[in-house]
Amino acid sequence: MPLLSADEIVVRFGGVAALQAASVAVDPGRVTGLIGPNGAGKTTLFNVVTGLQEPTSGRVVFDGVDITHRSPFRRARMGIARTFQKLEAFSSLSARDNVLVAAEQRTAWDRSGFDTAAVVDELLERVGIADVANFMVGTLPTGTARRVELARALATQPKVLLLDEPSSGLNEEETESMAALLRDLVADGLAVLLVEHDMPFVMGTCEHIHVLDFGRVIATGSPADIQGNAAVQAAYLGSAVRA
Amino acid sequence: MTLHWKRNNVVAVAAVALGVLYLVNANRGVAPYSAKNIGTVLVVGAALGGIYAITAGGLVMTYATTGVFNFAHASIGAFLAFLYWELRVNHGWPTLLALVVVLVVVAPLLGVVLDVLLMRRLRDAPLVVQLMVTVGLMLAFMGITTTIWKPITPRATPAFFAGSSGVHIGDVIATWHRIITVALAAAIALVLRAFLYRTRLGISMRAVVDNRNLAALTGARPNVVSSAAWALGCSTAGLAGILIAPETGMVVDTLTLIIVIAFAAAAIGQLRSIPMAFVGGMVIGLAKAFTGVFLAFGKDWNYAPDAIPAVILFVAVLFLPNARLETGTVRLTKRTERLTTPAEALGGAAAMVAIVAAWANGWIPWFSGTHFGQRTDIWLGRGAGFLVVGLIMLSLVPLIGWAGQVSFANFAIAGIGALLYSHLGGQHGEPYGIVLVMLVCAPLGALIALPALRLKGLYLALGTMAFAEFTDKVIVRHPKMLDPSATGVLFEPLKLFGFRMSSDPDDRKAFVIFLALAFAVLFLLLELLRRSRWARRWIAMSDSPAASATIGVNLITTKVAVWALSGALAGFAGCMLGLSSGSFRVDSFPLFAGLPLVLLLAVQGVRYPVAAFMGAVGLMTFPALYEALGRPSYLTSVELIGPGIAAIGMAVRPEGAVFYAGRDLAGFLPWRRDAREDKELRIARARAEDITKDEINDLGIARPFTVEHAAQLDRALDIADAMLERPGQHVEEPTVDEWVARDAAPVG
Repeated sequence: MPLLSADEIVVRFGGVAALQAASVAVDPGRVTGLIGPNGAGKTTLFNVVTGLQEPTSGRVVFDGVDITHRSPFRRARMGIARTFQKLEAFSSLSARDNVLVAAEQRTAWDRSGFDTAAVVDELLERVGIADVANFMVGTLPTGTARRVELARALATQPKVLLLDEPSSGLNEEETESMAALLRDLVADGLAVLLVEHDMPFVMGTCEHIHVLDFGRVIATGSPADIQGNAAVQAAYLGSAVRA
Repeated sequence: MTLHWKRNNVVAVAAVALGVLYLVNANRGVAPYSAKNIGTVLVVGAALGGIYAITAGGLVMTYATTGVFNFAHASIGAFLAFLYWELRVNHGWPTLLALVVVLVVVAPLLGVVLDVLLMRRLRDAPLVVQLMVTVGLMLAFMGITTTIWKPITPRATPAFFAGSSGVHIGDVIATWHRIITVALAAAIALVLRAFLYRTRLGISMRAVVDNRNLAALTGARPNVVSSAAWALGCSTAGLAGILIAPETGMVVDTLTLIIVIAFAAAAIGQLRSIPMAFVGGMVIGLAKAFTGVFLAFGKDWNYAPDAIPAVILFVAVLFLPNARLETGTVRLTKRTERLTTPAEALGGAAAMVAIVAAWANGWIPWFSGTHFGQRTDIWLGRGAGFLVVGLIMLSLVPLIGWAGQVSFANFAIAGIGALLYSHLGGQHGEPYGIVLVMLVCAPLGALIALPALRLKGLYLALGTMAFAEFTDKVIVRHPKMLDPSATGVLFEPLKLFGFRMSSDPDDRKAFVIFLALAFAVLFLLLELLRRSRWARRWIAMSDSPAASATIGVNLITTKVAVWALSGALAGFAGCMLGLSSGSFRVDSFPLFAGLPLVLLLAVQGVRYPVAAFMGAVGLMTFPALYEALGRPSYLTSVELIGPGIAAIGMAVRPEGAVFYAGRDLAGFLPWRRDAREDKELRIARARAEDITKDEINDLGIARPFTVEHAAQLDRALDIADAMLERPGQHVEEPTVDEWVARDAAPVG
C-alpha cells in the first residue's frame, strides 16, 4: 500500500472541472513525478492533498488513514509538507525565522525534545541558504526564497514532501544541487511528489511518473515508459490524438 | 453565489428564528397587530429599507468592481446631503437643479478625484492599509462636513413633494418621498445588477477585479473602469444621504453610522451580490420599523433597537461559508526590517519615562492657556489621558501589526474594562481589580473575533466595528454597567507603594509617572514577545495563512491567542482610562472616538510598539496646536480631520512613520553601518528601476506595461534575480556601482 494516495479526485469550480477522477500514489524512498501541461490540475491536486481545497468527490489516504476531510494543519502534523508554485514564504520574516517557525511548530506534536536551533542551522546549511539566513525573505531573489520554502517544509520533518516546481527561478547549477538534495532526501526514506516542468530534472530524479492532462491521469510509469507514450506526447505537443 | 442549505444551516436558521420569536414575545409592546399598524410598519420599513439598500448597493458595487471596501461610503453620502441642503435650502435652488448638481456633477467628480488620488493606489495594498485609508477618509469627510456646516445650527432637508399629502392605502398614508424612495431603491438595484452583468463596461469592471492584468491585455481599461465605479458609487451614496436626511435629521454622526447598517445588508449579500444586499437593506428597514411600532424594550434596554444592524451583521457572518485558504496572494515586500535590540529598547523606555517624569514635574516648558510657560493641572490630566490612549494603541500592536487582524473594537473593550473596574475593586482602590478586569477582557476579545475568525479579514474588521457600535448603544447604556444617575467619581484612587493614582489634581503627577512606567513595562514586554515564537507565528500567519497551515499551525487557536492578549491589554488600558477620567456618561464611548487611535497608530507604524507612544504624542499635538494658535474655531473638528488626513497619507507611505524615520535616520547613528548599506542598496534599486522605466519608454510600449511587468518578465527570464543578489550571495557579486553601470550601458 502506498504511503499517500489520492483516489478518484474530482474538483469542480462552478462548471469547470479542474480534476476529473485523478488518482495518484506516492511511495516512501523515491521521487514520484507529476507532470502535465499548464492548467492540467497539478497544483489543484496538491491543494487537495494538503487540505487547502476540498474535493467535490474522491478520497485522500495517508498512512492508512482517510484524511479527506481533515484540516490542513492536522495533515501537516501527520507528516505532509509542501512548497508552493507561487511563493508563499513568510516575506516579512528572515530566512532563519521562516524555518524556525516551522521547527517550533513541530514541537507541538513531536515530543522528542529536539534542539530547534540546531535543526534550523542544519537545514539552512543543507539547502544552501546559510549565508542569507538573516535577510528578510521579501528581499531575496525568487530562487533563494524557494529554497527557504523547502527548508521550511523539511523543518516539520515530513514523511511525504510535495514540491511544486522547485527548479523555477534556479539556474542550471542550482537545479543540479536541488536534484542532488532530493536524491539525498529520498535515500533517507522520504516520499517526494514532484511537480516540475524541467524535463531533464524530472527524468533524472523521478523513479515513477504520473502525467496529468485536463484533470485526468493519462499515463503512469517509469521515465522511459512516459517518454515513449503517445498520449503524453500528444498532450504536450498538442495533436488530434487525445487519450 | 449561492448558499448551500446544509443541515447545519437549517438548524441555525431555526435557532435564529426561535431567538427572534422569543425576543419579540418577551418585549411585546401595547400596539395591537391592526391593519393600520402593520401598514405603517410596511411603509416606514420599506422606505428606510430602500435607503439602506441604496447605500449597501453602492458599497457592494464599488467593492465588487474595485476590490476596495469603502468605509467612507456613508460619510461621503452625508457630505453630499449637506451640500444638497446648502443649495436647496440655504440658496433656495429648485429641487431638480440641486439634485442634478449634487448627484450628476459633484458626486461623480468627487468619485473620479478620489479614484485618481487614492483608490488606485489601494488596489494591491494589504487589507490593513485599505482599511486605514478608507476609515481615514470617513473621518476626514465627517470633519470637513462639521467644519463647513457647524452642528450648532439646526438644519432640515425637506422631503420630496413635502406639500402633497401622499397616497392613502387604507388607513395608512404613504408620503410621495417614501414611495419614491422604495421605487428608486428597486430601480437602482436592478439597474446596477443589469449594468454589471449585461453591459460591456460592467462586465469589464468585474473582469478587472478578478485579474487586472489579464483584463487589461484583453482591452479593458482598468483606470477608466475604476473611475467609473467610484463616480457611480459616490452618486448612489449621495442619493441615499439626500433621501435619508428628512427621515433621521441632518446629523453627521447619524448619517455616517448608516455605514454599519450597510455593512450588515452587504454581508447578507456576501459583499458581492447587489440583489441580496437590497434584500438585506429591506430586512433591516422592516425590522427597525417593526421594533419601533410593536416592541417596547424595558428601560434597561432602551437603545436595543439601535443595535439591530450590528446583531444582523453578526448573524449574517455566522452563515457565511468558510473562506478558502488562498494561495498566490503573498506580496514580496522589498522591505528590510531590523529588530530593536534589547539595549535600544531598554534605553528608549528609560528615556521615555524620564521625559514624562520631567514634564510632569514641570521642568519642561509647556502651554498654559494660550501662552507658553508653566504646565497646568489641566494639561497634566490631558497627559494622563494621552498615555492611556497610548496603552490602548499598544494593545493593537500584536493584533494588527503582527497578526494582521484589524480591530476597531479595542476602545470599546477598554470602555467595558473601565466600567467593569468601577465595579470590581475600582471603588476601593484595589489593584487586584485590574487583574480581574484583564481576566474578563481577554476572553471578551477572543469572543468578539470568534464568529469571523474563519472568514476573510474584512469581515473581522466589519464585525469589530459592529461590536464597537453595539457596545456604545447597548452594553454601556445598561444601568448595571453604568448607572446614569451616578454623577460623581466612580473610582477611588488606586493605591500603590504609598502613591495615589487618580484624576484628582493632587494625584495626577504620580499617576502620569505611573502610567509612563506601566507603558514602559508593557512596551518592553512586547519587545520581548516580538522575539518569541508567538510573535513569529503571528507574523507568519499574517504573511501567508495557507503556508502557516501547511506547516501545522492551527490558525484558529493562534488567532484566538492574539485576540485574547490584545483584549487583556485593552482591559488594563481600560482600568487606567477609568482612573484618569474619574466618571463617564452613557455616551462616553462612541464608535467614532475609537477610530482615530487605530488610525494614528497605523500612521506611526502598526508593527512597532514604539509607534503607540508616538501615536499618543501625535494625538496630543492636536489640542496643543489648538491652544498654540489661540483656539481658532476652524480647528474644532481637527481631532477628526487630522487623523483622517494622516491615515489617507498611508496610501503613499504604507509602512508608517516609525519605519521610514528609522530607515532614513538610522544611518546618521555612528554604530548603524547596516542602515547605511541598506540605503545604498535602495538607491541602486531605484536607479535600476528608473533605467527599466526608460527602457520601457524607449521601446515605445504604452499602457498597461509597467515596471512591475518588466520585473515579472525579468524574473521569468531569470534576469532580475541575478541583478538583485544581496551581498554574500553565491553568484559573484558586482559592486553596486558596477552593476548600475553595467545595466546602464545598453540603454546609453
